[in-house]
Amino acid sequence: MSFSESLLSLRLSIDYRSKPGVLRNLALQMRRGEILGLVGQSGSGKSTLALAILRLLGLRGGVSRGEIRFQGRDLMSLSEREMCELRGRQIGLVLQSPLSSLNPALRIGTQLAEAWRAHANGNREDCTRSILAALKSVSLPEGERFLRRSPSQVSVGQAQRVLIAMATLHRPPLLIADEPTSALDTITQAEVLRLFASLNRELGMAILYISHDLLSVASLCHRIAILHEGQIVECGETQQIFAQPTHPYTCQLIEALPRNPFESPDRGNTPGQQAMETAGVPAHVPTGKSQP
Amino acid sequence: MRRIWSPLLLVALLAVSASTTAAQSGRELRFYLPAEPKTFHPLVVADDSSETIRYLTGGVLIRFNRQTQELQPELAASWKVSEAGRKISFKLREGILFSDGMPFSAEDVAFTMRALMDPNLHSPTGDSFRSAEGQVKVNVTDPHSVVILFPAPVAGLERLFDQVAILSSRSPKKEMAVLGPFYVADYKAGSYVLLRQNPNYWKRDSTGQRLPYLDSIRLDIQQNRDMELLHFRRGEIHLINSLDAESFDRLAGEMPSAAHDAGPSLDSEQMWFNQVSSAPLPTYKKAWFRSQNFRRAISEAINREDICRVVFARHARPAVGPVSPANRFWFNQALHVHPFDPQKALRRLGQEGFHLDGKVLRDREGHSVEFSLITNAGNKSRERMATMIQQDLAQIGIRLNVVTLDFPSLIERISRTFDYETCLLGLVNVDLDPSAQMSVWLSSASSHQWNPNQKSPETPWEAELDLLMRAQASTTDNKKRKEYFDKVQQIVWDQVPFIYLIHKNALSAVSPSLANATPGVLRPQTYWNVEKIYFAPEKSGGRR
Amino acid sequence: MKTLRLLAWGFLLSIFVATLLAEFVAPAPYAEQFRESPNALPSWQHPLGTDELGRDALSRLLYGSRVSLLLAPAAALLATLIAALVGGVAGYLGGWWERVAMGATDLSLSLPWLFLLLTVRAMLPLNEPPMTSVVITFALLGLLGWSPSARVVCAGTRTLRNSEFVLQARACGCRGWRLLLRQVLPNLKPVLYAQFWVSIPIFILSEANLGILGLGVAEPLPSWGNLLRGLENYSAVLNNPWRVAPLGLLIIVVSCFQLILPLEDFRS
Repeated sequence: MSFSESLLSLRLSIDYRSKPGVLRNLALQMRRGEILGLVGQSGSGKSTLALAILRLLGLRGGVSRGEIRFQGRDLMSLSEREMCELRGRQIGLVLQSPLSSLNPALRIGTQLAEAWRAHANGNREDCTRSILAALKSVSLPEGERFLRRSPSQVSVGQAQRVLIAMATLHRPPLLIADEPTSALDTITQAEVLRLFASLNRELGMAILYISHDLLSVASLCHRIAILHEGQIVECGETQQIFAQPTHPYTCQLIEALPRNPFESPDRGNTPGQQAMETAGVPAHVPTGKSQP
Repeated sequence: MRRIWSPLLLVALLAVSASTTAAQSGRELRFYLPAEPKTFHPLVVADDSSETIRYLTGGVLIRFNRQTQELQPELAASWKVSEAGRKISFKLREGILFSDGMPFSAEDVAFTMRALMDPNLHSPTGDSFRSAEGQVKVNVTDPHSVVILFPAPVAGLERLFDQVAILSSRSPKKEMAVLGPFYVADYKAGSYVLLRQNPNYWKRDSTGQRLPYLDSIRLDIQQNRDMELLHFRRGEIHLINSLDAESFDRLAGEMPSAAHDAGPSLDSEQMWFNQVSSAPLPTYKKAWFRSQNFRRAISEAINREDICRVVFARHARPAVGPVSPANRFWFNQALHVHPFDPQKALRRLGQEGFHLDGKVLRDREGHSVEFSLITNAGNKSRERMATMIQQDLAQIGIRLNVVTLDFPSLIERISRTFDYETCLLGLVNVDLDPSAQMSVWLSSASSHQWNPNQKSPETPWEAELDLLMRAQASTTDNKKRKEYFDKVQQIVWDQVPFIYLIHKNALSAVSPSLANATPGVLRPQTYWNVEKIYFAPEKSGGRR
Repeated sequence: MKTLRLLAWGFLLSIFVATLLAEFVAPAPYAEQFRESPNALPSWQHPLGTDELGRDALSRLLYGSRVSLLLAPAAALLATLIAALVGGVAGYLGGWWERVAMGATDLSLSLPWLFLLLTVRAMLPLNEPPMTSVVITFALLGLLGWSPSARVVCAGTRTLRNSEFVLQARACGCRGWRLLLRQVLPNLKPVLYAQFWVSIPIFILSEANLGILGLGVAEPLPSWGNLLRGLENYSAVLNNPWRVAPLGLLIIVVSCFQLILPLEDFRS
């Protein structure tokens, strides 16, 4: 792994005033174009990490120390103004709950336009064109009618796609998805996972995929990092993690996966394979070098 | 014996309470004080509520009869004024006791007078005796005779003693020992004052029965006049000293026998022009206000009859001048109300170079005639009067801007900054004697509202007023004083420094169950003869 | 609901037209005193009777509505705008800014405005035409009446500031004034609308109360405030129940405004 391939490398400690030591000297590396799954228990600090990377943690009362290197720049040393330039353009973020992440007072089109205008100057046509293209890329109806809808008039799945469209509007090299499927039903979940896979494939977008759901992570990600008690306890290729988990917590996680009641018990030895089938995603396990 | 009687008595009581719907505690008179009495010390009284207590409890040497408007002997059996009003000698009644049983003597009068004239006491009552610098000498010649000598003549001297409640020089209860018909028995701050019959009161009625007839008087403190009226109609209180015209008419509709209109009172409503030479007003306006014809014309352009009829529902009388016809002795009978005549007013204004330009009156230099009238906010009848005057003056092309101000700002303007043009206010007269008006008419006085505190009189007529007022004050011959004061009224009528508008009628309410109550125009209107008031026995088939 | 709305529109429109055409509709000039018939009952000559000085009640109601319907909403708008600015910025920026702004709001809530207003009135020149004093009165009400609304707006903004969708917008790079105006403010609309509509009747009544202190609309100009003061005299109201017409009109107009507002749009 050469230096140029490293997209994001970080070493972070995060404290909340009420809860110190949420993350303790956590180290993580991400390559260009890879999908890294970050798995951990609820409350283990996964979302905190997502916000910390964008330096939005202050809004939630958290303080982070350490280093975030993104494309060779230390984000911790950037001014707030430079960070604003970076958010949405270099790093996109998709939050957990699609409906509460959409502004209830704004029409879909307006929200997308606001996100577009944050980093682009141009007339109405340019804006509409980009938005329609983004909608297409997330398989949403591209009609003007859809843009005129208000968030209360779209389904959860559509809302999540809108959010993804918003986050990827400016084709950022890195997309952080914080539990993007946990509020969705199984079928929609599968569709969204496919969408991430295709975004990764077609745009070469690196995705930091945060989830507590090992199965969906396994079906999507090239590599998996296991977060436990504020630190990365294990990090490696998906297959490797499933085949030879080294940390007891990882073993515990794999152990806890639901088994297909119709399969013989010994199939439990290859949970990764099973997971991919369940999610309906073709086993696409590229190495880090498979992307341009 | 008692055991046999008590059930019978109980039955009798029940029968009485069932038959009389107005089940009032038999002999307790009730009415309201508008505010907390500030003091029970009779010599430092300055507010209405304290004055009420003083009137009901205090014994005085000479009483000014509120009905006949004549002086009558009270604790003094007789008196004599001599040395041109510098000296007064009293012969006191004998055998009188204070409410606590202490005997009353000339020593008490001397003690009271010394206390009254003590500069440290700051007694408002005492101030009216101070005609000149110097000591007041009090000589007790025998236990029932006392002579008081003043450093200079005091006009209307004997009348002033109506305000001086005699204190006991020896009683341990100090000022709470009284000589009047009632004494203060109980007092709860903010709530009520309870007066009880003074068992030692000296007066008796013609049959020899001890006065007063009433057992007690309960004075609840109630500021809300609407509540007062409501409670009166329910029979919970028996007297209302003064009512406004609206409430009066409402009451008269329901209980005609309870509403009393005693005719014009001493109180007047008047407006005046700012004639202060240093006032921050344009010169041409000052010229208007200093013109006698202008002031007369305004007075003649105001329809006083309409004000009486519309604002006061006919319970008011157009005013002639500073003295109300209710003041029988001092009122100048020769004067009549300025007649309402807009045409005559315009002719008068024409003499001063004013002319009508279309519908706008202009002065000689072409300034349109417009000025403001300030009055205190919150007084409905005054605001209505102002609005009526506004329309009356519009008839002769004058634009009047009515501005209502809170009282402190109003006072600030009329007495300190003089930043006003005309002002409408009422004057409450409590004293019939012209001496009480010295501070209004003397050009050097602070209450000389239209142009106060003059170093020397700025106009000949103000100089003449000064002379006349001083002249009336320096003699005790009432006939001469009356001549002087008639002249004062004549000058004021001619020069119109104040435009006198109306005198409100004295409107009061007295429960029909009270006997001997004869409301008058002078304060205290309803209970001036309190010792003789009693509850009439309920007639069968009476009211209701 | 739809017919009700139409009715409300129709009613408001007719009131508005009637007040604008008061010169032609009113049976008499608003200041003319028919002194022969004070406190008169309704008649052909005086459809709503006359007041205590014999002035035509209907005419005064028409002219008074013109003054109040124009100026009270203007003052409410002014107050709401100030509240939106102060409360919105304080709630949005949070921290030190919020403390200062809310401190100022609390201070202005606890100040004895009455005395301040009295001072202002005492300083005004006396020969102002009645219309000027009306405008000054309402302008003062608008300038002073923002603080209760500002608290509400600030609380609302604070909630919004911490909401998911504002976080999402920030993550998309939205920032500064644009974030406040385009993302936060639209969500404050219901709060601001409510504050605006609540302020109107409050200002109308405040004007009436100020009148008692000599601060309100000067005679002979009518306004809802001084017409409502006529209700103090309850025996007159008993004699002529039409005296409550100004109050009735006030209630109906405020209700109509509520009806025609697209409330369901911003309830969601």
